[in-house]
Amino acid sequence: MKIQVEATDGYTIVSVDGRVDATNANEFEKSMMKVVEEGCTKIILDCSGLNYISSSGLRIFLIVLKKMMAIKGQFILCNLQPEIKEIFDISGLSSIFPIYTNKEAALAT
Amino acid sequence: MKKHTLASHIIRNVLIFCAGLFLVTFSIYYYFTRNTIRETTRENAIFLANNTVNRIEQVLGPAEKIPEIVAKMLESSFLTRDSLIPFLKSILSINKSIYASAVAFEPNYFPDKGLFYAPYVYRQGDSLRSAMLGDENYEYAFMDWYQIPKMTNAPYWSEPYFDEGGGNIIMTTYSVPFYTVREGRRTFSGIVTIDVSLEWLKEIMSSVKILETGYAFLISRNGVIITHPNKAYVMNQSIFTIAKENSQPGLREVGRQMIQGKSNFASADFKSKWHPGKLWINYKGLPSSHWSIGVIYPDKEMFASLRKINMILLLLIVAGLSLLSFITIKIINRLTAPLKHFAESARLIAAGNFNVQLPEIKTHDEMMELHNSFSYMQKELSEYIVSLKDTTTAKEKIESELRIAREIQMAMIPHIFPPFPDLPQIDVFAVLKSAKEVGGDLYDFFVIDGNKFCFAIGDVSGKGVPASLFMAVTRTLVRSISDKEASPSVIVSTLNKSLSMNNESSMFVTFFLGVLDLVTGEMSYSNAGHNPPVIIRKNGDVVMFEKSKFIPVGLFEDFEYGESSVQMESGDKIFLYTDGVSEAENAENKLFGDENLLEIIRRNANASPRDLIQKMEEGLAAHVKGYTQSDDITMMTILRNG
Repeated sequence: MKIQVEATDGYTIVSVDGRVDATNANEFEKSMMKVVEEGCTKIILDCSGLNYISSSGLRIFLIVLKKMMAIKGQFILCNLQPEIKEIFDISGLSSIFPIYTNKEAALAT
Repeated sequence: MKKHTLASHIIRNVLIFCAGLFLVTFSIYYYFTRNTIRETTRENAIFLANNTVNRIEQVLGPAEKIPEIVAKMLESSFLTRDSLIPFLKSILSINKSIYASAVAFEPNYFPDKGLFYAPYVYRQGDSLRSAMLGDENYEYAFMDWYQIPKMTNAPYWSEPYFDEGGGNIIMTTYSVPFYTVREGRRTFSGIVTIDVSLEWLKEIMSSVKILETGYAFLISRNGVIITHPNKAYVMNQSIFTIAKENSQPGLREVGRQMIQGKSNFASADFKSKWHPGKLWINYKGLPSSHWSIGVIYPDKEMFASLRKINMILLLLIVAGLSLLSFITIKIINRLTAPLKHFAESARLIAAGNFNVQLPEIKTHDEMMELHNSFSYMQKELSEYIVSLKDTTTAKEKIESELRIAREIQMAMIPHIFPPFPDLPQIDVFAVLKSAKEVGGDLYDFFVIDGNKFCFAIGDVSGKGVPASLFMAVTRTLVRSISDKEASPSVIVSTLNKSLSMNNESSMFVTFFLGVLDLVTGEMSYSNAGHNPPVIIRKNGDVVMFEKSKFIPVGLFEDFEYGESSVQMESGDKIFLYTDGVSEAENAENKLFGDENLLEIIRRNANASPRDLIQKMEEGLAAHVKGYTQSDDITMMTILRNG
């Protein structure tokens, strides 16, 4: 797993590559919490390099979503690979996450 | 194989180096010392030769003056014919080195005295006698001593000779020509001679000593040996006859140089019978008599002292190297002695005795570092072993606790099949295989109000103990909620509300709950983000449910869950599973997938719930090929019988 954070004025783009599963969920959580605690109100998670996510990983997504909702901020996902999108669809989570097909669309919100 | 000690390695290298160093030093020393000795000896020989020449000249020089003065006196008519004998007598009386003297006039110089006129004075014992030389038996004018200076108009030292009449001593004669004015012309008139004994030469020559047996010899202008330590040579041999006898061309060449009055220093391998071995010779000519002095000394004597020093040096080197080896061995053995102990200690430590006594080191060197490292290793190892024991104990305790937890968890879900022997309308079979000791998957089923069959399957996010605790809570809540409620949406909504409250960890459960009316066959259900189940019709049709419209439970307490319903006829089955099935991975990270799952179901559409699940397990095993199971696997199949 590789995480890249790109903070810009007004929003932060986080890119996550590889797998997010039980073995590295803690690491992923710490990285994401750091971004959240910086007070950014708009986090865009670029999932173009994400090729596997387990339920432990989904939990982190949900934690971030809840935190952002609590501060009336936004947590937007984009560039989901079909397999990842499928997981979101099956679990019904695509109904509560704003999901966009590309970064431009995510930025436009 | 012979064991090579560190000491022997070091000794060998040090010895080779030192021996090489000594050899080089010794060679250089030998070369220079040899040259110095040769040069010193040569200088000594030259000095001796020069000195001897001077000593001889000191005798011969004054002796030469006498006949020369007499000759001058005769030329100037200072001496009269009759005063010659008394005059010669007076000369002999004051010059002890002169044995005899004569004034030999040219034949017929004094017509009145006959053909010969040569007054001669000589010693006999202590007295001086006189005689007149020349008669028909002794025509002196033909003698060398007369002829040669006459011809050359120059003084002449004769070849030495034995004076047989005068006491058998070696003599030589110095002849000086004299001239008188006759008929207005300076005309050769005769010869003045002195006979000199050469006995004193023996003394001078025999006093010349060089090295052990070095000596000097004297040769005449013809190479005849005048003095020599070997008496047999004297007057009997010349340097050339000796050279010939001994086949020494080198000596002949030396002799040639000597009689030409040259001085030099040369070596010749004489192999003389009298004095064997290589000899060195230094020679110098006598300017007056044209004789030549040779100083000879043996080569081996020249370097005798050097050989002695060499022997001493070699002995010292051998002794030094032996001592060096001995001391080096002692030092190395003393320094490396602890190593043997360390090796022994290491073996003991390896065998598990961490408290073994290490060798005591007093020096503050590498050995001390080794000691400290060993000591540190000992300490670390024993600490590590203690901590390992603790860890192992703790781990065993946890494992034991987990085993118990697993038993408790497994006891929470129905695991006796068939579960309702008195309920023929239903056949159900389920399995749950946790990836770890305890898991986050769950299934459950029970009967509500005698005619409603409630069943549920769920998957808690994450794995292990946290998931298992959440699973236990979920299962307990479902049971308690279902006591009072038979509507899936209400049950799920209530469950969600309870789980969401104070759920700081944001754990969630994908959850499917169905309620089958055993009378009508209507199955109402609510799906909270769970994998859609598959319905298998009696006629073999296989249909996967639509995806969930609702999110997993435990996230937002106010989330409203709805429900749907489907009709299940007799012989219809429903297959429920968790993502551990559809997402089972093999070594290539390839997922099992919905298509595989559906294919196996289609092929076994008529199988009993137990058989279907068994086939599915076989299909999974074929897919993962032994690759480690990463997620809990749960499957449940329900068949409605009439």
